[in-house]
Amino acid sequence: VTEAETLSVPFAGPLAGLRILELADEKGQFCGKLFGDLGADVIKIEPPGGERNRHVGPFLDDIPHPERSLSFWYYNTSKRGITLNLQTSDGRRLFARLAATSDVILETLRPGFLASLGLDYASLRERNPQLVMCALTSFGQTGPWRVYAAADLLHLAAGGEMASCGYDEADVPNAPPIAPGGGNAWHTGCHYAYIAIMAALVHRTAAGQGQYIDASTHEACAPTESAIANYIYRGEVLRRQTGRHHAAGPTPRTQFRAKDGLYVCALVGGRLNPKFVKDLADLLDSYGMAGDLRDPKYRDPAVVAANTSHIIDDLVADFIASLPAEEVYHAAQQRGFTWGAVRAPEALLDDAHLHDRSFWKQVEHPELGRSFIYPGEAAIYNGSPWRISRRAPLIGEHNTEIFCDGLGLSRGELCVLAENRVI
Amino acid sequence: MSRPRALENVRVVDFSWVRAGPWATRWLGALGAEIIKIEWPETEHGRLPSTTTPQGLEVNLNTSGNFADTNVNKKSLSLNVRSAKGLEVVKRLIAISDIVIENFSSRVLQKRGLGYRELCKIKPDIVYVSMSGYGHTGRHHHYTTFGPVAQAASELTYLSGLPDKPPAGWGWSYMDDTGGMYCVMCALTGLYHRNMTGRGQHIDLSQMVASVPLNGPALLDFTVNGRGSRRAGYPPGNRAHWPGTPLVNNYRGPTVAPHNAYRTHPGEYNDWCVIVCHSDEEWQRLVQVMGAPSWTGSERFATIAGRLQHQEELDECIEAWSMTLGKYDLTERCQAAGVRALPVQSAEDRVEHDPQLRHRQMYLAMPHPALGRHKVQNAPFKLSETPAWNHLPAPLIGQHTREIVEDLLGYSHEELRAGFGDGTFWPTNRARLPYMEDMLQ
Repeated sequence: VTEAETLSVPFAGPLAGLRILELADEKGQFCGKLFGDLGADVIKIEPPGGERNRHVGPFLDDIPHPERSLSFWYYNTSKRGITLNLQTSDGRRLFARLAATSDVILETLRPGFLASLGLDYASLRERNPQLVMCALTSFGQTGPWRVYAAADLLHLAAGGEMASCGYDEADVPNAPPIAPGGGNAWHTGCHYAYIAIMAALVHRTAAGQGQYIDASTHEACAPTESAIANYIYRGEVLRRQTGRHHAAGPTPRTQFRAKDGLYVCALVGGRLNPKFVKDLADLLDSYGMAGDLRDPKYRDPAVVAANTSHIIDDLVADFIASLPAEEVYHAAQQRGFTWGAVRAPEALLDDAHLHDRSFWKQVEHPELGRSFIYPGEAAIYNGSPWRISRRAPLIGEHNTEIFCDGLGLSRGELCVLAENRVI
Repeated sequence: MSRPRALENVRVVDFSWVRAGPWATRWLGALGAEIIKIEWPETEHGRLPSTTTPQGLEVNLNTSGNFADTNVNKKSLSLNVRSAKGLEVVKRLIAISDIVIENFSSRVLQKRGLGYRELCKIKPDIVYVSMSGYGHTGRHHHYTTFGPVAQAASELTYLSGLPDKPPAGWGWSYMDDTGGMYCVMCALTGLYHRNMTGRGQHIDLSQMVASVPLNGPALLDFTVNGRGSRRAGYPPGNRAHWPGTPLVNNYRGPTVAPHNAYRTHPGEYNDWCVIVCHSDEEWQRLVQVMGAPSWTGSERFATIAGRLQHQEELDECIEAWSMTLGKYDLTERCQAAGVRALPVQSAEDRVEHDPQLRHRQMYLAMPHPALGRHKVQNAPFKLSETPAWNHLPAPLIGQHTREIVEDLLGYSHEELRAGFGDGTFWPTNRARLPYMEDMLQ
């Protein structure tokens, strides 16, 4: 299929016609997925035997196997997969041939590794001046930490996320800083890498030339928090609080336990004024729990301010404690309150709004004869839809398609490459 | 030396406010797009209220430090879009722009006569990115969010904390930052698609919905294996697994120990280091860095299984050692030996003490007309031919009104003066700022 043909398909994704070579581990696999789900032809290149993230759980039915990692499944949708050993000269030549016909190379190998194989950007672009190459590494190609080893937890520590997240002393005395949910350092690195690559591609549509991008997870995490301005402009170091924003001094709590043991995030403090109290009284009164909120004294902002603790810790807390979290969430939102239930992942499968957006996708796993539900898109592209075009590739699943049909190797040559551990 | 920029000749009409939208247009601006921020002092959210105005300066529309960092690389047009004349001005601007971005509640722009269909009449190939809390599609489109609420409703909050404690959640509006990142991604993807096909489109981004795909493995564990996240030992704090609970992967990578945050010398609020050993080999390297104390020779710690099982004791022993070193010293010793360790860094640490961020020039100072010279956050990636850089300080409100109205849109100076007189470019009941008097001369 040529680029022109692909683009003439009315419901192709916005990146149809774009070919991306992905040499990525946990640092960059999500970036490849972002491109693939938006229609790019992403070719994931794994070492013979498969990439090591195939060994990260959880596994299908808790049976460990490189084709059963749910983590690998999730982060590698909409990609084709080949195996290639870049440490062999045959492997390097095949890689260079693929690079000559690709738009983007995304690689997460240690700085200098590809160059040591003669596969640096300068060499690759000689045959393909339009090539965009993005190295997404933990710390970038230069600097004193460039060879440091990392992990998701390490990036969330050094990036500043952990310094902002944790507990009130009253909830957990002497609590450590707490890392946000797993994978978010990698996600953040991938979001910025995606942006940098797309900027280079947009530039290429005008200038006709590719370029090299040096991106890093550490730098991506560093601005993905909001304590910097407090320090730069006021010299403040912020304190961690349970389930709400860090702050220079204590702020009223926003997380309340509901009747079913789940929590509700209810923003009240900082918004309290007579109008808010009236609306709050209406909400609580619909369950007969307005307490003294209808008292005319609350028309006075000073009285409202003086009763902050009473309103939050008695009335709002008791109201939420009397109902299931989901009911509080919807009752409050229907009345214009910016509140939300703190939901566990499994609760999202029942979310009517997500269903209205056709968010959940059935993805076929033909080798298993089954299909599974996957999360869908962050945004609806009304003119060029997002979609999961296929489940994650099996190890070397597209070797024949890409090496023989694409590059013109014979079946015999392919067998020789396999025998010699090139693929 | 002026280098070409990736988004040269791209113009963005930016109706966004507070954090998520402005965070997006900040980066589009750094990449070279011309960002025209439409503002109105009576309905402004983002400049005020301000908790980041430097001590000693008056809190006003032009002195928020957070606004200044979030709005570099933009121009400000003060405009009453709700007036007929203001609407005409904005339509003239959209006609010569490439991208429209807004983060109002769903359908606000539509009610003002600027829905996607109207936009297409003005500029047929416009790329329009809307980013409301719940998106424009779906029954709860009118629900409102703020980072923590989007994070709660989408499960991000639930997935961090200690077992049997309330969720720790996120200490800031992660989904304002990350929602902003998705807005940039949508805008660039839409722009690329337009350049390739000639077609624009409406991209309907939702802050709450955008959070959900950030928990893929946890969701697949439920949809595939039927295992929910409401279970013993989850979430396991900073550990990969909570000792004494069933062995299940907790979605941060391999299940290993040590994998935790440890106190460091001198034990102040942010004196912590995280250490992770992904293999026996890495553990043995850590043992050497610690000076091979006798406890490390115990059979209990010789295997992954043993270290996971005896994590409480393991972590106590490691912390007894980590307390003897400063967090940067500990980091250097560990990394020199090939052990995964990094300090927990506050904002001050990153700006002042992180040698890598300093080397990469993450924070460079630039002058601001009301705030003076301060460091500003730079783009976390380096493009070799079209580097992203901060070239304009955050605008004062309405600072570029004359430039945009007269030079860009071709209105006469008399029309500008008339617009200031009739409340199109500034409320008639509000004192004009000194630079506005200058632009009316």
